[in-house]
Amino acid sequence: MADAAPRPRAAALALAVGLVLADSSIVVLALPDIYRDLETSVAGVTWVLVSFNLVMALAAVPAALLARRVGPGRTAAVGLAVFAGAGLACGVAQDLSTLILARCVQGLGGAAAVTAALELLPATVGSERRATEIWAAAGVTGAALGPAAGGILTELVSWQSIFLIQVPVALAAAVPILAVAKHEAATGILQTELRRTGRPHFLANLALAMVSASIAAALFLLVLLLIEGWRLTPIGAALVVTVMPLAAVLGSRIGPLVPSAKARAAAGAIFVSGGLAGLAYLPKAEVALTVPPQVLIGIGLSLVLSALTETALSGRAPQAIHGGWTISARHAGVVIGLLALTPIFTADIAEQRRDAIDAGTAVILDSRVNPLAKIELAQRLGDQLEGEEGKVPVIDPAFEPLPEDPEERAEVVGLREELQDQLDRGATHAFSPSFLLGALLGLLALLPIGLSRRVDL
Amino acid sequence: MNPALRAQLLVGTAIVSAVALVGIYLAAGGSSYEPAQVRDPCQQRPWSNPQGLGELANQFSSSALDGAACQLGVSREELAQALATPEGRERFTERYGIDEEELARAVRAGLLRAIEDAEEAGALSPLIAGPLRSTVQQIPLDQAIDLINNARTIFGGVQGFLGPAEDFLEELLP
Repeated sequence: MADAAPRPRAAALALAVGLVLADSSIVVLALPDIYRDLETSVAGVTWVLVSFNLVMALAAVPAALLARRVGPGRTAAVGLAVFAGAGLACGVAQDLSTLILARCVQGLGGAAAVTAALELLPATVGSERRATEIWAAAGVTGAALGPAAGGILTELVSWQSIFLIQVPVALAAAVPILAVAKHEAATGILQTELRRTGRPHFLANLALAMVSASIAAALFLLVLLLIEGWRLTPIGAALVVTVMPLAAVLGSRIGPLVPSAKARAAAGAIFVSGGLAGLAYLPKAEVALTVPPQVLIGIGLSLVLSALTETALSGRAPQAIHGGWTISARHAGVVIGLLALTPIFTADIAEQRRDAIDAGTAVILDSRVNPLAKIELAQRLGDQLEGEEGKVPVIDPAFEPLPEDPEERAEVVGLREELQDQLDRGATHAFSPSFLLGALLGLLALLPIGLSRRVDL
Repeated sequence: MNPALRAQLLVGTAIVSAVALVGIYLAAGGSSYEPAQVRDPCQQRPWSNPQGLGELANQFSSSALDGAACQLGVSREELAQALATPEGRERFTERYGIDEEELARAVRAGLLRAIEDAEEAGALSPLIAGPLRSTVQQIPLDQAIDLINNARTIFGGVQGFLGPAEDFLEELLP
């Protein structure tokens, strides 16, 4: 056994897990900036998220096997170093291919660090159950805080800073683990006994995958709606989506009051689905209206992710392998959610954009504005729309300068508001089918939760 | 409280919260919050009682766009966006695989429908409608588009043509 103090090592392991799992969502708020900077498409930029989650899904179980073969300390330390190095590469990437490749390498390092951490935690905190709780809580916290942290960094510094700041954090988390790695290297003794691997909890992992797809929809779509649809700044959007982690804290307080993991998982899935359905039926393009759905999603994700993770790991050995399965299920769910929703969403937003522009044009054509002013306005608006092909346009510049005649000015301002309303309607409505699909995925998770004979801890 | 009751309470709260949220949002108009549907350009657009040349020109332009859009099988709004700039026109003809002559025929047909609508609504005297029809059937595309974009010039032009008969024109135009 290594001599490193258990408390700093437990904190470092929790930090490593939180950091890596935050990475599956931290980049969400930066996507619009990456999309513009690297001149790609919505479908292309989605792969910045998909690549990381896909590699995490594929590499988690092999990484756990590796941790048991070469030692969890060494695996975690090397994993964090790889994660940090790839983060640096992401931060300096000049094109989408390099960024995606670096994200894949980050996923490899992350998978090694997270699964090895689960193998190290029981010995560090002295209890397998406590280790599972810390590991699950760190993952939920990371996933919930990720988008807000990413949004703040994007706005205050740049999207590159999201990756660059992870380098020192990952290296700092690796320091207390190095003692274990050195001990393993010096003695050849592994931290844990090599036990026969039991079968993974199929239903809990299936439910995790479905719920994760649903939560990915919530985060990804809400951020895109706020930034691309409603034109909020990344920091503004970050503040808005902070409601979710705050609600997740509330959920983490409720969880321990209900011993039944099956009930927590079912309630969590219903909360998430209800929140997503609420986002699908927003009655207006107003930020405040996203708060109640986000509260439900935040409470739900905390309840369902922790309940299902604990269930998938409960009484199963070795922990790292089963932790690998849960990581694999969660990230596969995120990938499925993103890949299923992106084409629907991109097609819908293009169609709704056209409908909104047509509706706005109808407003202008039917208005009582002087025909000459109308033509000029239509031409400026056409130029504006042309300059923002494929995106929800900013229309204000097309209406500047406003006419000096007070009556005509009031008419044009009214037109601008009406046109903006049509664009808001189009942008908001474009997200509805995808939010509804996300809600459906969350509800489908109730099937494996309900079918599971032993979901209770 | 026993654990089973807590479990039921938690699930019940989740169901009630989810249903209540969706119900409230639907009741507030969540299912109909979408862009307004544009009208079918082939359907007659009722003419209101225009007050002066500006409004008359607006309704005339709208009818002309409807007529041209109906002929081409597109919406009035899409055609209006296309006709606003030469680049828009080029993109439009490329997208629908039509040439300038087809577009010109549609625009002229639209102008003829507008004249007919204006005449039927009593907004244009047959004395003016007749010559206008003959003119519209022969004008090139650019001028036809100019007339749609700025129908006021039709009436202003008539006014200019009639010159001293302005008082008479006032009687013809509502």
